[in-house]
Amino acid sequence: MTLAVIGINHKTAPIELREKVAIAREELPETTRALAAMPGVSECMIVSTCNRVEMLASIDSPGTDLGSFLHQHFGVDQALLEPHLYRHYDLDAVRHLFRVAASLDSMVVGESQILGQVKEAFSVARASGTVGTELDHLLQGAFAAAKRVRTETEIGSNSVSIASVAVELARKIFGSLHGRTVFLVGAGKMSELAARHLVQQGAGAILVTNRTQERARQLAEPFHGRVIPFEKLHETASEADIVISSTSAPHAIFTREHGQAFLHKRRNRPMFFIDLAVPRDVDPAMGKLEGIFVYDIDDLQQVAASHMEERSRAASDAEAMIAAEVERFQQRRRTVNVAPAIVSLQRQAEEIRQNELKRMGAKLGTLTGEQLAAVEALTRGLVNKFLHPPMQALKQAARENDPARMETLCETWQLPTAAEEPVAAPVKLEPAREKEPSAVGGK
Amino acid sequence: MHLLWLRVAAILYAAASVAIFPAVLYSAARWRSASVHLGGLAFLFHFVSCVEMLVQAHRWVPVGAREAESLLGFLVAGLFFLAWWLYDAVSLGIFALPVTLFLVFVPALGTTGYSFPSQGVRTNWLIAHIAALLAAYAALGFSLLASVLYLARERRLKAKLTTSTESRWAPLDWLPPLDTLERLAHAMLLFGFPCMTVGLLLGAVLVQETSLGAAYFLDPKVLASFAMWGLYVLLLFLRQAAGLRGRRAAYLSGAVLVVMLAVWAANMVSHVHRFGAQ
Repeated sequence: MTLAVIGINHKTAPIELREKVAIAREELPETTRALAAMPGVSECMIVSTCNRVEMLASIDSPGTDLGSFLHQHFGVDQALLEPHLYRHYDLDAVRHLFRVAASLDSMVVGESQILGQVKEAFSVARASGTVGTELDHLLQGAFAAAKRVRTETEIGSNSVSIASVAVELARKIFGSLHGRTVFLVGAGKMSELAARHLVQQGAGAILVTNRTQERARQLAEPFHGRVIPFEKLHETASEADIVISSTSAPHAIFTREHGQAFLHKRRNRPMFFIDLAVPRDVDPAMGKLEGIFVYDIDDLQQVAASHMEERSRAASDAEAMIAAEVERFQQRRRTVNVAPAIVSLQRQAEEIRQNELKRMGAKLGTLTGEQLAAVEALTRGLVNKFLHPPMQALKQAARENDPARMETLCETWQLPTAAEEPVAAPVKLEPAREKEPSAVGGK
Repeated sequence: MHLLWLRVAAILYAAASVAIFPAVLYSAARWRSASVHLGGLAFLFHFVSCVEMLVQAHRWVPVGAREAESLLGFLVAGLFFLAWWLYDAVSLGIFALPVTLFLVFVPALGTTGYSFPSQGVRTNWLIAHIAALLAAYAALGFSLLASVLYLARERRLKAKLTTSTESRWAPLDWLPPLDTLERLAHAMLLFGFPCMTVGLLLGAVLVQETSLGAAYFLDPKVLASFAMWGLYVLLLFLRQAAGLRGRRAAYLSGAVLVVMLAVWAANMVSHVHRFGAQ
């Protein structure tokens, strides 16, 4: 039985190709069942996100090539797909899955969505009846490894996108964002994204102003926001706790004097200005006022970059953890593989014990119930004591992945060969070269 | 009979003093009306008490510390109501009404020195006095701590320092958000204020046994305690009414704490208050 992972991801394939093989959530059960129906596939599941489509399977036939499923099922030209596919088998497949679940293979290392997506794919496969013991053990190991990485490293503790950094800073000022008023000045894409993040975190009223009233209305609509005429910008700004500014004004539209007036009106309650405009909309002198916090695009990027550095440092710790978890999983797997040999050994010994008891039955004569129980206990105890060393030796050899020792033991005790013999990797093709991620963000 | 009216006035002043705080700090119209009405009634009974006291004695000049205290309280309340009538300045009541209560409270206990019915009652009174003041000091200290942490958090946000673990500021990342620290500092003051007021009132009763009379108001310990109480009220008033927060609020909290330490130090020179003295 071989574990195999075949797929494409954001590192190996452009989005044009990824979208051709992407599987919609409602189509996932059917596609998983179709993969399971492929000859040689005994268990399988498919992880499909915007950054990757991966098939994970336990295959029992060396000729099974999961790659063919992709181009057959999705009708994508094999020549087009093949250079972008990556294939991992057995230990590599385990390591790959563990890294994916722990978000070490994500576009934004440390993001938390991927674990949920793997869990969802697993639950779909289980519901579709395509998961057995092998994949079940593997996925439980992957979830445990991912959990360990998240709890024991700082990999996901800090935000790395501009919008989430803005939310994080707002939280440091206001604590809970519930009921906070957000004022969008200008209708830039990034300010919209930041506002969306703030609303998701519970921000209350949204005020929107723009030189073009229509654009302001369009932006306000999804947030059920209130449109403010641009002329009333300074009059209204004091109502807001968080101001996100991204106009194309050639000079600062918020000055120190405005800041003083806002604080006076707000009775010194703090204000947070997120200035996403270049040239800047907020005069840096305003940030010197007590109670006003001004962060421009460079400040936010600097914070995001430092968080990214922290994640990179945490990622190297996480890689070591993954290596340890993979080794642990392998040991458990080998121990499970040696189970038939141990069962066979116990069966043989039991047969010998029963035969010897029968043979000696006549000589022992009529025994009372108590005497019979004592003989049973005596023989069983002897057998168990004799079996203990070879059983331990088998388990130890399995844990240490020592096939020669296992073979010797099996020959000595006339047992079926228990050593893990990985099926030769089917039609090994050149793995796709992995590119560096092109952007930060996304899933 | 004048003592009865004075006691009724003292109770009403106490109720008005309680009502004036939400009225001023939270601009609550209902509490504002309650404090003015209760204070007005107290002023009326106080007036009756003063007139009766002087008529009974067939004189127009107060004699003794208690009569002077009562009359002084009457004048403070009168000036407050005059300011309210002329300028609608209810916020002055946050100082005037509690001060009047302090001045009326001791004379309302009786014309002569007050003595506790038993040693047990006195001991309980003493325990309550100490517990209330210690709670007030603890709340003030905690409020100052929250204000100092506010400054540290604010400084970090202003300096736009990242959370890099290599940064020397990294240990400050655990600090709560600014708003939480601000609310904590304010809530601690709001908790500590009634404790301090009650503690001082209980102390004022305890000191009656010493029969110090007017000398009571010259004692450094008593003076420092009243200064601390006044500063505490000022701090609360400025925080709420003028939106005082951040650096200046921390400095004012620090000033109150310094006065609090002075109150402790005043034990060395006080005639009416010594630690360990029963």
